[in-house]
Amino acid sequence: MSLFIKHYRPGSIFKKQILWRLNSSVAENHESEEEFRVLDILKKRDKQQKRVARRIDVPADRAEKMSTDQNWGNVWPGPRSFHPSTVPLPIRQGFVPKGQVPPGKKANAELMKIPNFLHLTPPVIKTQCEAIKKFCTEWPKLLNSEEAIEKHYPVEVITSDYCHASPTIRNPLARVVTLRVKLSTLNLDKHAKDKLLRLVGDHYDEKTDLITLTADRCPMRRQNLDYVNYLLTACYHEAWTVEDWEKEKMEADMEYYDWNNNQSKKNLVNWYHKCINKDIALSEDEYKSFDTSVIDHGEEYKLAVSSLFNDGEREETINNYDTAVRKLLGLPERKPIE
Amino acid sequence: MLSRNIRYACRRYSHAVTFRTTESSPTQQTDNQFGLFYTVNKDLCKQLYGHGGLPKSYMKQSKTFAETAIMVRRPALDIINCIKATDLNKPAIRYVLYGEDGTGKSMTIAHLLHYAFEEGYLIVHVPWVSDWLRRVLRHKEMANSLTREGLVDLPLDAAAWLLHFKTQNQHLLKSPEFIVSKEYVWSKREKTEAGAPLHELVELGIARVKYACDVVDAIVNEVKLLSNSKKCKTFVAVDGYNGFFNPLTRLKTPTKKKVAPEEVTLTTSILELTKNDWTNAVMVLSADSIANPDDDTKNYLPQHLLYRKGFDHLDPFVPVKVDRYTDREFLTCANYYRDRLWIRGPLDMETELKLTSACNPFKFMEQCAPL
Repeated sequence: MSLFIKHYRPGSIFKKQILWRLNSSVAENHESEEEFRVLDILKKRDKQQKRVARRIDVPADRAEKMSTDQNWGNVWPGPRSFHPSTVPLPIRQGFVPKGQVPPGKKANAELMKIPNFLHLTPPVIKTQCEAIKKFCTEWPKLLNSEEAIEKHYPVEVITSDYCHASPTIRNPLARVVTLRVKLSTLNLDKHAKDKLLRLVGDHYDEKTDLITLTADRCPMRRQNLDYVNYLLTACYHEAWTVEDWEKEKMEADMEYYDWNNNQSKKNLVNWYHKCINKDIALSEDEYKSFDTSVIDHGEEYKLAVSSLFNDGEREETINNYDTAVRKLLGLPERKPIE
Repeated sequence: MLSRNIRYACRRYSHAVTFRTTESSPTQQTDNQFGLFYTVNKDLCKQLYGHGGLPKSYMKQSKTFAETAIMVRRPALDIINCIKATDLNKPAIRYVLYGEDGTGKSMTIAHLLHYAFEEGYLIVHVPWVSDWLRRVLRHKEMANSLTREGLVDLPLDAAAWLLHFKTQNQHLLKSPEFIVSKEYVWSKREKTEAGAPLHELVELGIARVKYACDVVDAIVNEVKLLSNSKKCKTFVAVDGYNGFFNPLTRLKTPTKKKVAPEEVTLTTSILELTKNDWTNAVMVLSADSIANPDDDTKNYLPQHLLYRKGFDHLDPFVPVKVDRYTDREFLTCANYYRDRLWIRGPLDMETELKLTSACNPFKFMEQCAPL
């Protein structure tokens, strides 16, 4: 405050005011006298001049110009991803917002993602088949049914060919060869069949009765085919040979439960002899050849025990066994649980 | 005071469904008693199950309830029915009890033991095979057999069993018909003369533990001979029978060699007994998955538990399934527990317990205990 008083001279403030007013006199000339002019620090241009869009003559969509009787095979000759202006169909695809329709075909990535079969319309297939018909031979007349084919050509060889547009036409998967043959079509006896099944292991499917051999170890298809054929031949002939050590097959090695060879039959025969008070010692072969139909309900019992072992032990087979044993021993029936 | 008692009685019998039968003799029990409890006489209980025969948890419960009440269930009725229809002159029939854990196989055997007792059978009962072969105490007495090469004796177990045998058959052993058929020489000074009473042989086994296993073997032979000659009829009951066919026992010889079940003399005796080459006998055996602890498949079917060996040994046998409680059995059991004031509270509790225990008798008993 003391400073202010020190420098204060009457009239000095007034002079400066005049000066400032002189400086700003230019603006006052253009604008109305009432408003102050605003200092535009950033110097923003109030309005950019808009460019006038030039009109270019865009031709109509090709799809709209197509005639209805055109040859579609020429328009879309090969596999290709979807193109909206080549396909004259009002297709829509994609996420549907609520209350709206699915997006249309233009600029629609959904349609381009999915594979299409527009190159494989029935007329195109027909013409292509007609074209390659001259290379085909006639189908044998006698092979008119699946059974006939199976009978005359039991061995089925499955290979795959691959065709694609890349610098190389080879595909490593084309070398894989699968051979399938039905077990029932092979000429085998009881021993050979058992041995063959043991040799092929899990290549045999019980449901379809098919032996499936697949080879992909060699680089060429022909080599794999030879190998698969060799495998089948080798297994078949090996199945027919009987080695010396096969005579040593024990009861525990049996692939199924043969009641006649088992302790169960001995038990039954011994029990029967006890019942009729006959005390005789039988040899192994006599046990095996003993006719169980002499015993009341003996056959039923035999079936029940065999099913218990061959079908696996379940509530059902156990009940079956129970019923058979009760009949055999002459006991009253089991009462159902209330 | 009176009104309180009346109120108490009213509450206790308000939802009274008959759960008890007065028919305490299993020989008279028929389908009419199905699903009902009967009480076993206390003295008889001590005689029959004093040295084992009832499950431990059940013993505890019956002590709490101050009575031994056994439910008359289908498998027991079924077997009793079969035994009644059996011609005893034919080779002995084997019944194999099977079923899930805790469904009452041992209780069925206990019930049948009572039946056999009432009918005057000579009882040969092995309470639990695994006690011999799997339960290893710190000082399990084991010795190499003197008479049979390569086998192992369990003298203390054999002596305990002889005591059990003696207690169960004390009334029968007194009869003069039970005599030894041939002379047994135990040592230079000890021998049992031919014609000596059978109970003398049993006493010898108990007193001279060293020979207990051989005495068991002798008794098995004598019992078979006595039955064959129609002097008595025999009831054989073995609980956890499949324990004899396990690949190994928990026993070890002093040389740390694991012992197989067939290397134990008691096993050979009992297996000899369960052959069907003799008459006048009934055998009830049980196949229990608890006796086969190495196997964790939860499979309780007999052929699986007995292995091929056991099946071949027993075949043809009658498999008898012991199932869970039926609705009716569950209801009577729940009522019995209510009567014993073992469970209290609203009746909805039973539906919940039925669900949580899945009608499994042992689980039901277990779940009711803390209520």
